[in-house]
Amino acid sequence: MSDQQLQHLIKMVNQISANNLHHGDAEQSAEVIATHLRKFWARSMKQKIIDYAESDGLELSTVSRLAVKRLSEPQEA
Amino acid sequence: MLDYYDPSKTDPGTGGLNPDLDYGTPPSPSDAQVSVSIDGTTIRVPEGTSVLRAAALAGINIPKLCASDNLEAFGSCRLCAVEIEGQRGYPASCTTPVAEGMAVTTQNAKLARLRRNIMELYISDHPLDCLTCPANGNCELQDVAGTVGLRKVRYGFQGENHLDAETDDSNPYFSFDPSKCIVCSRCVRACEEVQGTFALTIEGRGFESKVAAGQSEPFMDSECVSCGACVQACPTSTLMEKSVIDAGQPEHSVVTTCAYCGVGCSFKAEMKGDQLVRMVPYKGGDANHGHSCVKGRFAFGYATHKDRIKEPMIREATNAPWEVVSWDEAIAFAANKLKDTQAKYGRESIGGITSSRCTNEETYLVQKLIRAAFGNNNTDTCARVCHSPTGYGLKTTIGESAGTQTFDSVIKADTIVVIGANPTDAHPVFASQMRRRLREGATLIVIDPRRIDLLSTPHGGKGLHLPLRPGTNVAMVNALAHVVVTEGLEDTAFIESRCEPRQYNEWREFIAGERNSPEAMEAVTGVSAQLVREAARAYAEAGNGAIYYGLGVTEHSQGSTMVMGIANLAMATGNIGREGVGVNPLRGQNNVQGSCDMGSFPHELPGYQHVGDPAVRARFEDVWGVTIDDEPGLRIPNMFDAAIAGSFKAMYVQGEDIAQSDPNTQHVEVALSALDCLIVQDIFLNETAKFAHVLLPGATFLEKNGTFTNAERRINRVRKVMAPVAGLEDWEVTMALSNALGYPMDYRHPSEIMDEIARLTPTFTGVSYEKLDRLGSIQWPCNEAHPDGTPTMHTLDFPIGKGRFAVTEYVASEEKTNRKFPLLLTTGRILSQYNVGAQTRRTENSQWHHEDVLEIHPSDAELRGVHEGDWLGVSSRVGQTVLRARISERMLPGVVYTTFHHPGSGANVITTDSSDWATNCPEYKVTAVQVEKVTQPSAWQRHFEQFDQRQHQLLTPAAIHAEASDATALK
Ligand code: SF4
Ligand code: SF4
Ligand code: SF4
Ligand code: FES
Repeated sequence: MSDQQLQHLIKMVNQISANNLHHGDAEQSAEVIATHLRKFWARSMKQKIIDYAESDGLELSTVSRLAVKRLSEPQEA
Repeated sequence: MLDYYDPSKTDPGTGGLNPDLDYGTPPSPSDAQVSVSIDGTTIRVPEGTSVLRAAALAGINIPKLCASDNLEAFGSCRLCAVEIEGQRGYPASCTTPVAEGMAVTTQNAKLARLRRNIMELYISDHPLDCLTCPANGNCELQDVAGTVGLRKVRYGFQGENHLDAETDDSNPYFSFDPSKCIVCSRCVRACEEVQGTFALTIEGRGFESKVAAGQSEPFMDSECVSCGACVQACPTSTLMEKSVIDAGQPEHSVVTTCAYCGVGCSFKAEMKGDQLVRMVPYKGGDANHGHSCVKGRFAFGYATHKDRIKEPMIREATNAPWEVVSWDEAIAFAANKLKDTQAKYGRESIGGITSSRCTNEETYLVQKLIRAAFGNNNTDTCARVCHSPTGYGLKTTIGESAGTQTFDSVIKADTIVVIGANPTDAHPVFASQMRRRLREGATLIVIDPRRIDLLSTPHGGKGLHLPLRPGTNVAMVNALAHVVVTEGLEDTAFIESRCEPRQYNEWREFIAGERNSPEAMEAVTGVSAQLVREAARAYAEAGNGAIYYGLGVTEHSQGSTMVMGIANLAMATGNIGREGVGVNPLRGQNNVQGSCDMGSFPHELPGYQHVGDPAVRARFEDVWGVTIDDEPGLRIPNMFDAAIAGSFKAMYVQGEDIAQSDPNTQHVEVALSALDCLIVQDIFLNETAKFAHVLLPGATFLEKNGTFTNAERRINRVRKVMAPVAGLEDWEVTMALSNALGYPMDYRHPSEIMDEIARLTPTFTGVSYEKLDRLGSIQWPCNEAHPDGTPTMHTLDFPIGKGRFAVTEYVASEEKTNRKFPLLLTTGRILSQYNVGAQTRRTENSQWHHEDVLEIHPSDAELRGVHEGDWLGVSSRVGQTVLRARISERMLPGVVYTTFHHPGSGANVITTDSSDWATNCPEYKVTAVQVEKVTQPSAWQRHFEQFDQRQHQLLTPAAIHAEASDATALK
């Protein structure tokens, strides 16, 4: 996996988070962000950011980490 | 006999009128009807109609020379004189309004004598070279001379006359031969009333009077913007298209749509056989009502330019010469490459890009090819880099990804807000309409770092300029909304009945916070709080406030937030859902709206229907007969990243030049070079094609059938006037590729593609070619509820029911100035060139703009010892390029500006890949840079030169033979 690609993904999630901090508490914001990622990110991008969050995740902001965690959990229909 | 003229009962495409006839004076807007008798025929017409127009509506043609139905009556030629019962003398019918019971005589012996005398005077100062005159066969003066029966000219030509006056040939597209001028002033009035430029005047009086451009300068040196309105208005050959002088009068014509900008002007393509002689703006076009700009009117020569790609070509490696092959071979080669790539790297390793310059049908087909034949959702379009935030922001707040109004709506606006757009250059025909409204006294508010030309509209009303720092739009829109909320300027009735209370309350609490006040935001935006308050009041209290915005809103890291902020502002003030108000994105390219509507984005099927929705997928799967991937695909920047990472290997690009138009050129070049197979379909060897393995010749808009959708959601027909240079229209090429990939497509005409679109897209169910031909154009939504389309949206409710306010926190861009990069670069475009310039650079339009320059404020220039015309190195965090300096006070100190119409300028070498948080729309409008004097082009530019030369050599057959031997060595 190219570092550059991952760097971009990390930057993107953090940017999405920074623009969505106003939805109540961190958990609520994380849900909004996770929904955004589900709706707009390609399968491979989601997988990469999930892998990163699980293996290292240090560069993700706190809310981003919460959001990616939700992304990796199976959604109840 | 009683004839009723009732526009509502007749063909809506033309308002019941024949767009090819001139009714003499403009229609009267009055609802009251009066009845008059003309030569014994009684007709009812709206009060205020001129006698001349009433007669024309009754089918009676009164001779005229100085009148035209797109200009206010002037009454100077007197040819239209009539007799009115009970009135003395012979009043001019063009300046005489009808009155109830009026009885008019248009023809009798006295009138005939009078008209003949007038014509005799005109002709005595007019050359008699009709047979060799370029207007022969299409000259109003000639026609009127014929109608009035002029047989002799008693005055002779010995007296003083203007027959030796010199021709002004300075404009590349039309000439001005004053010896033929009858000083009717139609040109002067067209420049004022239709175009709004005021470049022409009548100089002198009586016999001395003559038409002058600017301060009696050649046209090219005057303020003239070459829109052609005066040429069209001229009843003689004084102002005449050079193409007609060269080719002679056209013999047939076809109505079609301009392929340049999002205004979508209708034109008559006037032809001689298969040669296009001239483009004449079509009065029946509802977007442009017979007006045009220099691009659509004159810059069509690229279609027959020698650089056109005329045959399919293939090559194994991008440093190998191109091999000309048959269509079948090229398609088979491309299909095999795509199949091999998927076999080797997986289903998701390929993708494609649809074009905002191609037709709806072609765009629809490309995304269908990707979703059905490629089997993934890796489709995107260049709208990603311009208006994707519009889609996101408007859909979230008001439920539909499109502007709310017609262009005509601006005529009812009391305050016009223009944010991050430059209509006089990018949407010129709409700008003329705006200027008309500004002359009528509407207030203008411009929110833009740069002082745009709209602010200097001749005879315009009040104008406020809020010159904010690039990147601070959201801070500004929040401050405006704060004033609305805290000064009690809200439209509470609208909010209560039309908006979701929960979101509204959340938003209201947020926006009323002190941190959003103009005073608090002053430090961020750099605009005085008082000015912001004044602007907010002017918008909210206007009656009708209309917002128009462009790429200066979307191309930011907070583009989507800003679009939502604009929608908030409109909802809070109730400025939505009727004429004269609304939220209007001004789309750049001709079919940006259409390419978004047609499902080009990776997460949305046509009609903005999400791929994750099983019900939506089921309907498409049923018609397409395949399973559609339920996850979104890659967007353009994600494709580039994946290409560099090695997981994305092949791409089909139709009619887009991503190598030039996308930010951070060097990154894009690395990505494109990493592909195993790049298939480019275009009319020229564009920058992207230089990295391609398959080159498929594209067809221009003149060579195909289809539809474009303009910025007001208007679907316009594009009609074929000549055969495609390489034999195939673009949709046929996509179809061939799909068939070669094993997914059958079988359309015989684009109308069949539109029928499929109508079946699958809820907002298009009522659209068909038959209806388009009947109505002229249709604004979607067009369905059971709106069978003739929807000019104004959201009149009763929103597609999502109630409007949703969105909290729009200002988050500063990461692209910030510092000691190393102390200036902010912002980008834009100019009138004569179009986008990446591939077309306009291949026309005489380059006489107006032959290079991109860097505009720099005098104080920044002085600090760096820079003078007008110096070479400047512009460096950002990602690259450097060199541009020539132009000293300009249009921006505040600290801001520099350039355009990106020429590939060698490398403006995108310096733009970064910073982008909108929601959509990845690149932040073109903000790049921190340093500027310094240099003596030579940048390293990138030198490399570009070499690469460009090399790729052109690989294209020429001579090079193919000469270098065939070393080509193998290069592989
Ligand atoms: S071409 Fe347009 S701008 Fe130029 S003089 Fe004629 S009307 Fe005016
Ligand atoms: S140039 Fe043409 S339109 Fe203008 S005053 Fe002369 S004849 Fe009339
Ligand atoms: S470029 Fe735009 S404004 Fe100019 S003629 Fe074409 S559609 Fe109209
Ligand atoms: S047309 Fe009426 S005065 Fe010229």
